[in-house]
Amino acid sequence: MATTLIVIMIVLLLLGFPMMIPLLTAAVVGFYTMFDGFGQMTTLIQQMMGGIRPASLIAVPMFILAADIMTRGQSADRLINMVMAFIGHIKGGLAISTATSCTLFGAVSGSTQATVVAVGSPLRPKLLKAGYSDSFTLALIINASDIAFLIPPSIGMIIYGVISETSIAELFIAGIGPGVMILIMFSLYSLIYAYVNKVPTETRSTWTERMRSVQQALWPLFFPVIIVGGIYGGIFSPTEAAAVCVLYALLLEFVIFRSLKVMDIHRIAKSTGLITAVVFILVAAGNGFSWIISFAQIPQAILEAVGVNDAGPVGVLVAICISFFIACMFVDPIVVILVLTPIFAPAIQATGLDPVLVGVLITLQVAIGSATPPFGCDIFTAIAIFKRPYWEVIRGTPPFIFMLILAAALIIAFPQIALFLRDMAFR
Amino acid sequence: ANWRYAHEEYDGDVQDVYAEHFKDYVEENSDHTIQIFEFGQLGESDDIMEQTQNGILQFVNQSPGFTGSLIPEAQIFFIPYLMPTDMDTVVEFFRESEAINEMFPKLYADAGLELLQMYPEGEMVITLDEPVTSPEGMKNKKIRVMTNPLLSATYEAFGATPTPLPWGEVYGALQTNMIDGQENPIFWIESGGLYEVSPNLVFTGHGWFTTAIMANKDFYDGLSDEDQKLVRDASDYAFEKIIVHIDGLADESLEEIKKASDKVTVTRLNEEQIEAFRKRAPKVEEAFIDMTGESGKELLEQFKEDLKEVQKD
Amino acid sequence: MTNSATEPDEAEGYASGLPGVLGVIDLAIAKVEAFMLAAGVLLMALNTCINVIARFVFGEGLFFSGEINRILIILITFAGIGYAARHGRHIRMSAIYDTLPPKGRKALMIFISLFTAAMMFFICYYSVEYILNLYARGRVLPALGIPIWTIYVWVPVGTAITGIQYVLTAIRNLTARDVYISTAVLDGYTDNESEV
Ligand code: NA
Ligand code: NA
Repeated sequence: MATTLIVIMIVLLLLGFPMMIPLLTAAVVGFYTMFDGFGQMTTLIQQMMGGIRPASLIAVPMFILAADIMTRGQSADRLINMVMAFIGHIKGGLAISTATSCTLFGAVSGSTQATVVAVGSPLRPKLLKAGYSDSFTLALIINASDIAFLIPPSIGMIIYGVISETSIAELFIAGIGPGVMILIMFSLYSLIYAYVNKVPTETRSTWTERMRSVQQALWPLFFPVIIVGGIYGGIFSPTEAAAVCVLYALLLEFVIFRSLKVMDIHRIAKSTGLITAVVFILVAAGNGFSWIISFAQIPQAILEAVGVNDAGPVGVLVAICISFFIACMFVDPIVVILVLTPIFAPAIQATGLDPVLVGVLITLQVAIGSATPPFGCDIFTAIAIFKRPYWEVIRGTPPFIFMLILAAALIIAFPQIALFLRDMAFR
Repeated sequence: ANWRYAHEEYDGDVQDVYAEHFKDYVEENSDHTIQIFEFGQLGESDDIMEQTQNGILQFVNQSPGFTGSLIPEAQIFFIPYLMPTDMDTVVEFFRESEAINEMFPKLYADAGLELLQMYPEGEMVITLDEPVTSPEGMKNKKIRVMTNPLLSATYEAFGATPTPLPWGEVYGALQTNMIDGQENPIFWIESGGLYEVSPNLVFTGHGWFTTAIMANKDFYDGLSDEDQKLVRDASDYAFEKIIVHIDGLADESLEEIKKASDKVTVTRLNEEQIEAFRKRAPKVEEAFIDMTGESGKELLEQFKEDLKEVQKD
Repeated sequence: MTNSATEPDEAEGYASGLPGVLGVIDLAIAKVEAFMLAAGVLLMALNTCINVIARFVFGEGLFFSGEINRILIILITFAGIGYAARHGRHIRMSAIYDTLPPKGRKALMIFISLFTAAMMFFICYYSVEYILNLYARGRVLPALGIPIWTIYVWVPVGTAITGIQYVLTAIRNLTARDVYISTAVLDGYTDNESEV
């Protein structure tokens, strides 16, 4: 049965069906096979409902809403201006500013794509004008935006946390270390690139300009304080932090900056609802699918067949990394997390791996895979937003993918990169 | 035949141990096989209950606290001081209580379930940020509870502030002082490492974490007399085993906890201190009767009678 | 996930691709859907925020807050899938599809639409059965005390509307010259349907 379900899913995915359909079809076929007919199909409905029941999922629409308000307002631009004022003038400064802005905006936004839009759109023309090649620029934007997926908040982490029953607060805190490490890697690469390609440096901002930019960015800078400080300090749960972010974003953009009008609320809420729905229908369908494979005890069979059970913790981690990385080269990250996490759950439990460490690695792999050809979904985002051909978009990515894989290897070798902040906060 | 059995705890926990004994007995005394599903594999507690009602699962282990949304009377186990404190009397209570052995099976049958056995998992222990010995000391303490209105009523009556929270967030919330305490059986406090972040254990004697194993009623009624007896005998067999298991378990877990941390304090309330808490119970009883009406009232009276009965000797 | 800031605004721009009375009904459903979607998100934000404030000001959250969000998330999801279908915004992997010639894309899109519609009606049918089961069993939400079945009614409604939307997409593709990914959205028009 496992093979049938996998084949159905892959074929329908590749044909271009809405992604809920491959999941639902595989689930329906699984139920039909397991129960000799349609007699137990209501359990599929029950499990779809169960998928979107966990209270922690509420953080997803709340973070999307907050980021949506800020992207349409001025917060993102103000953050970018501040970063530019401080490091724009050093060698490779524009590129480093881009990576840094992605990280900073990542502390507001829960998804890669939102970051590509908010940071990539305004900075790409500047990078090109300064003399960076377009393939470097596009690769930098795509991959630096992946940092946003690791820095809290992160929609991927929320969904992994819900499925694997792992503390989302701990996942969030554990994502910061790797996120910053990757930022440093990208910055070093940018520096080297700028030297090798003799990219001229920009003019240095005056201290007056810098102070002004800080003053301008002061309000949006409170977002990371609310999220990280609030969760780290035990003031908020992740969902509460998300709600506070919404309130704060409303306060900023509507009252303090006055960049949005009350009428905009309806539009923003609708677009948040739309994004939430297309993700949550996948969560629902994915839960129905994982119920039937769990009921048929397929994960145990697969893990045994592959010999993962004898591989030990590092072996399991490597297997997880490779599977998630490859899957994300083809399929949307949310779907990958939904389908693969339950399959590996028995192995994670059996080897006693820290589920928070696993979560950070999975999030990282998902981010890398999405930026990797042939079908990584970040590539198509970039094609759509920047209107550049496929080849142009993927040409500059190999060095970044190499750095990200190096980052994953470092985390496996030194789990403390991810866990030290978590241990400081929660242990 | 292959029978499917789901419970709501992890590998090696009390419900899992019960399930394994049940499985052993059935498989040794018949050609039937039992497939056990642990927590989360087939969904949450409510899900496995529905699946049992649908006949996908033949057996389900669910704590009455969760069954409350289906059978409101099952919440009676959240009323404080309705059960004896010491192990032997509790076991006797479960063996002999008319409420448990005669009234509950009827209530479960109405929901399409054959109640096979109710059994205690362990005495409820409250862990807190400081040792507390009186309801006054509980004032303003945020105590994590499962989402159940009656359990909240209990902690309100104790003077605390009940805070519903999913299990996954409990450890972190204790660590960061978002909440001040929680309640659980001692083995759960040990295996979840909760004592690391909430080191003051208070034995209030207010109740036992109770759970119930049941079968889909149509499935059970359709069994041959021989198989029905097999299922009954298996649940009795597992009951005897589990009572031995939990007897040592609480002490063992406490020893482990003391060994692992020197921050841990253990407070056992004396009779006088317990009385101060017990005085708050009638408020919870009222709330229970509000929720369950006449049938709940009868059950409550029977519980009290059963309690008197076992405490006589 | 898409950042919607880059999208053309669908609310004002939406014109039904259907003729006559069908078009009017379609437009009315679209309006209701959009309203439910926005209202669901705003109510959720309100509910969650009030709960946080209550926890800080009064020391305890609202007991029923979680259950209200549970109701709203179902509403948002199932009002949203119809809305997403209408605007061709469901997540799909269109890389291979995009390489086909127009005729092939059209045929494939008709097949995709009809199959998707059939699956939606299938889910609709069994969600009704599920609701009837729950109705018979009488389980209630612990805090709000309302019967659980009531919170699921948006599921059959949402899947039925989505199913109809995909049938109409198939009809549109059969009758029009171009390839449509939804009743009103031309293939290649927003050129980013592969993402989100
Ligand atoms: Na982020
Ligand atoms: Na990504």
